[in-house]
Amino acid sequence: MNEVLDAWFAREVLAHEGALMRFLHRNWRDHDEVVDLRQEIYVRVYEAAGRRRPDSPKAFLFATARHLLADRIRRQRIVSITAVGDLEQLNVLTDELEPGRWLGGRDALERLARALDRLPDRCREVVWLRRVEDLPQKEIARRLGISEKTVEKHIAKGCRMMANHFYATSRADDAGTGDGSVGARRDNP
Amino acid sequence: MGRSGGQIERIAASWLARRDGDHWSLADQSALAAWLEQDPAHRVAFLRLQAAWRETGRLKALAAGTPQGQLPERGAWRRSPYFDPSRFQRGDALARGGRRHGSRPSRLASPVAAVAAGLLVILLAGGLWWWRDAGHVERGAWQTALGGQKVVHLADGSTATLAGDSELRAAMTRRERDLDLVRGEAFFEVAKDHARPFVVHASGYRVIAVGTRFDVRRESDGLRVVVTRGVVRLQSAVDPGKAATDLPAGSIARVRNDEVFVQHVGPEQALQHLGWRDGYAVFHDTPLVEAIAEFNRYNARRIVIADPALDDLKVGGNFRLDNSDAFVRLLQQVFPVRAERRGDRIMLSRTERKQPPD
Repeated sequence: MNEVLDAWFAREVLAHEGALMRFLHRNWRDHDEVVDLRQEIYVRVYEAAGRRRPDSPKAFLFATARHLLADRIRRQRIVSITAVGDLEQLNVLTDELEPGRWLGGRDALERLARALDRLPDRCREVVWLRRVEDLPQKEIARRLGISEKTVEKHIAKGCRMMANHFYATSRADDAGTGDGSVGARRDNP
Repeated sequence: MGRSGGQIERIAASWLARRDGDHWSLADQSALAAWLEQDPAHRVAFLRLQAAWRETGRLKALAAGTPQGQLPERGAWRRSPYFDPSRFQRGDALARGGRRHGSRPSRLASPVAAVAAGLLVILLAGGLWWWRDAGHVERGAWQTALGGQKVVHLADGSTATLAGDSELRAAMTRRERDLDLVRGEAFFEVAKDHARPFVVHASGYRVIAVGTRFDVRRESDGLRVVVTRGVVRLQSAVDPGKAATDLPAGSIARVRNDEVFVQHVGPEQALQHLGWRDGYAVFHDTPLVEAIAEFNRYNARRIVIADPALDDLKVGGNFRLDNSDAFVRLLQQVFPVRAERRGDRIMLSRTERKQPPD
């Protein structure tokens, strides 16, 4: 059942996005490609899980990531030496990343609040009115004296930024200190 | 590889924002469904944003102390009782406000008592009448034919909308409102009556509601419950020892092999699953068997899957329920499916062409 799969994916896979992004930033030289890599890893995991749910979603997610990086390196031989320090090392790295309880009430709430605070003023206001006060887009447009189209644009931007900040901070900023953290913070203002 | 992850994310975000708006139509819904089906990368990107967007709603917990329409300043959260429990105990504005409200009833005590006493007398009188009448059962039974739909006004003021090829029986007493969904699907708008639980029996489960709106559907191997308002309790009728599941508005519960799966999609999305009331079926990666069962409730010409290998084909999109021909045509175009008309049946089988060996 697809809806069940979708819910599973949000709960068991997206929960580890922070750790996954740190892993990718640490192990892939070209940081501009990381979003694409993440996307491809998600697709592989989603499709595989559609056939059979992995027993340990987190281990499966990182195994998929390792395979993908290894594939990429094999395909583009020339880049390989600089792309990754040591392919074998990839196995070790995942174990130190512990994303913690993603949906753990207070922690998640705090991360959401932080993510909201990073939105630009207008966008932040629109997201607040829509998500917290539950006003329809039409009403928000009327109140702020902007067009509904503009409200919609703020929502589109807002949900992307919320997703990026929220998932990027899925704990463990403290667990993997040092090397990869520069990359994990790239989309900060 | 097509579009980059960033581009897909942007498109997914604009879909989500549009769906979130006030001009979302069935046509938009099919266009979105088509986009999602087009590439798993689309689906995954959309899911990710949708999950985060839903999470954002949890910020409501922080709004408790904020006046409506007033956006808190950045960083104001740090003062929230959620993040600073010590403040909460000392009692800041939030907690004080609560206490002041709490003291009010004492001043009102005597008038309230007077009214309550009056009510008690009325209740006693009503109770006597009720007691005499408790044995009375009002029964009813309703059926819909293929393609039919019927709105039933129940004796207690609730309504039930029956989908095609469905059957519902009711037994209303002074103590209980017992409904039995014998087959098919029905949407219930329940009149509030806390004293009399509204219970729908279906597929070995009890779906219990007090003042709420929800949909119950028997499926070939289980049950589906969609809640659009209020709270519904789902309980196994066969195994009373099993824990009940409470379903708030916006949940979809499915029972398969006696296991309950619950998904929270929000009330708006839950409504999309009730498209049958407007004559539409909305499928998202729905197994062909299920989709066909839906069409067969509305059309005299039954679609039959002659080859079980087709059972698990997944279909998506919006379809008019009274036009199974269009659905079958589309199946033939998209899948290796052959349709053959035999009298009042349409038999579906796999096309001869085998998949090329790889």
